[in-house]
Amino acid sequence: MFLEIKNLSVKIENKKILKSLNLNINKGEVHAIMGPNGSGKSTLANVLAGKEDYEILNGKINFKDNDLFDLNIEERAQEGMFLAFQYPVEIPGVNITPFLHSAINSKRKRLNEDEIDNLSFAKLLKSKASDLGINIDMLKRSVNTGFSGGEKKRYEILQMSILNPDLAILDETDSGLDIDALKIVTDGVNKLKTKDNSFLIITHYQKLLDYIKPDYVHVMVNGSIVKSGSCEIAAEIEKDGFQKFQ
Amino acid sequence: MNIQDNYLKNKKNIFFSDNKNIQNYRETLINIFENDRFDKKNNESLKNINLKNFIDFKYKYLIPEETSVINNNQENSYSIVSVNGQCSSFKDDKIEITKILDEDYNDFSKNNTIENNDHFVNLNSLFLNSGFKIVIKKNNNIKIKISNIITDDDLTIFQKNNYICEEGSSLNLIEEYENKNNSTSNILNVIKLEKNSQLNHFLIQDNSPNHNLIITSHSSCKKDSTYTQKVYNFSEGYVRNFHYSELIEANSEVDLQGIFFLKDNNTSNNKTFVKHLAEDCKSNQVYKGILNDRSKATYFSNTHVDQVAQKTEGYQLSKGILLSDNASYFSKPELKIYADDVKCSHGSTIGPIDENAIFYLRSRGMSKIAATKILISSFINEELTSIDNEHMSEIIQKKLVRYLSKVK
Repeated sequence: MFLEIKNLSVKIENKKILKSLNLNINKGEVHAIMGPNGSGKSTLANVLAGKEDYEILNGKINFKDNDLFDLNIEERAQEGMFLAFQYPVEIPGVNITPFLHSAINSKRKRLNEDEIDNLSFAKLLKSKASDLGINIDMLKRSVNTGFSGGEKKRYEILQMSILNPDLAILDETDSGLDIDALKIVTDGVNKLKTKDNSFLIITHYQKLLDYIKPDYVHVMVNGSIVKSGSCEIAAEIEKDGFQKFQ
Repeated sequence: MNIQDNYLKNKKNIFFSDNKNIQNYRETLINIFENDRFDKKNNESLKNINLKNFIDFKYKYLIPEETSVINNNQENSYSIVSVNGQCSSFKDDKIEITKILDEDYNDFSKNNTIENNDHFVNLNSLFLNSGFKIVIKKNNNIKIKISNIITDDDLTIFQKNNYICEEGSSLNLIEEYENKNNSTSNILNVIKLEKNSQLNHFLIQDNSPNHNLIITSHSSCKKDSTYTQKVYNFSEGYVRNFHYSELIEANSEVDLQGIFFLKDNNTSNNKTFVKHLAEDCKSNQVYKGILNDRSKATYFSNTHVDQVAQKTEGYQLSKGILLSDNASYFSKPELKIYADDVKCSHGSTIGPIDENAIFYLRSRGMSKIAATKILISSFINEELTSIDNEHMSEIIQKKLVRYLSKVK
């Protein structure tokens, strides 16, 4: 099993958010989690990425034969986990290019691979940016600073394509995107999809799933997955909302 | 030993002690010490320090055997080594360096911008034992680098320097304070910018833990002149930066900026004060601090806009990052506006490093320590990238790397 979440319960500030949640993802699969506001979708994404604000009450997560709780935030990233943030953080003064260069090399170092030199990295970055329709001038700017909502999401996908993760978690990547930006972002994701990597896509709406076809759709309500199945569930939700699952 | 006894005992080694007027002025300063109740709450110069250590001190001064001014062979570029606060006399067609004179002292003693209960400035005026005067002659464009050296342990340097930029002149001044010995430097820089002159003043402070540096400046700007001051404090010993400025004629500008990097039990007290006394003038006061361990800092910023100073623009900003729960930074911005057509603002943001930003960077594979360091560097990025002198930029970067290497 690539990612195995068993009986996971999590709280923050005395509020239990995830309740005995189970989820299995195999290599090469695309899973989508849909759920109403406040159902715990982003909490799941943050817990997987290692955010330290949460208290794990119960459960286990295995990722590529590692106990995920034995790995800190950066070790999870270096092992191939990537979270595309719902609200990417603005970091003025930190230039995109050296930041991403340093990020990719920290991963390669953990995998005992040679570091990528400046020139090769510049070429890689330029080509990935071009694929995503990202202007080269944007790469001279500070991380997410002064970016529009769409630019921030595109930049998340650029990071994802550079870091080439084994498991990418997209936390409401579609929110705030117009239709053109959504197409660019989802094209980027589809280009990255192989039989060796997996995706966990968190969204409210079916629209995103029109562009990225998931193998499984899960409905999350009140901290637990209440239904799993094929794409048809997404259509059901689009038609009737989440009410009937609550 | 009380101030009066200390002064009388060392009088023969103190500048201008045979000048009657100066003697009278000093008696009033002694009276201020004797009558002050050293109320820490209402006296900004007393915050975070044990004044007793500075008042009850053993006076020691050594006249240096040698000091030097070197013309660097590069056109218009001078390198000066000031030893124990003294500097050789020098004169050419562009600059003139002399000892400080009675008249310079008297001129400053009439100034009323600096509060008369600033005891460090009063100690400087009482125990003055060194100093120099540099005049940049009309319409010249000059670079000066001053290395301030102290030769022995336990020295108490009380130094007053005068800088005069004559009409149309431009001075790029770098002052380095990098002392390793156990001593105290109390320095007052009096800076005068004549019409249409410009001074870019950089102060690099990097003293060892046992060296106290108290540096005060008072600048005055005439019509169309600009004074820019940038302080980089990496010192491991106590540093006080109090900088006052008066915009006395129209269309003049002052920019007082500082960054300090504190760790261990170190303390730094900072103050900037700008008095707008003429119309169409601009001021900017920005201090940023990074504090680790049990370090402490204060920053008082003040803008005073006189009723004649219409069309004033005056901005203040204070920012701090606390890297430890035990570090503290007290910041107090103040605006006093008596004119009705002005643009003024102040702001202060102090807090721990942004945990969301740390999480974001770590989620891309960076270690916590690397993420912390990158965020510290980004916090002062604007100040670092604005240094247009390559050599100085390298110096500051090296010192920053040294400071960051101790951040855990």
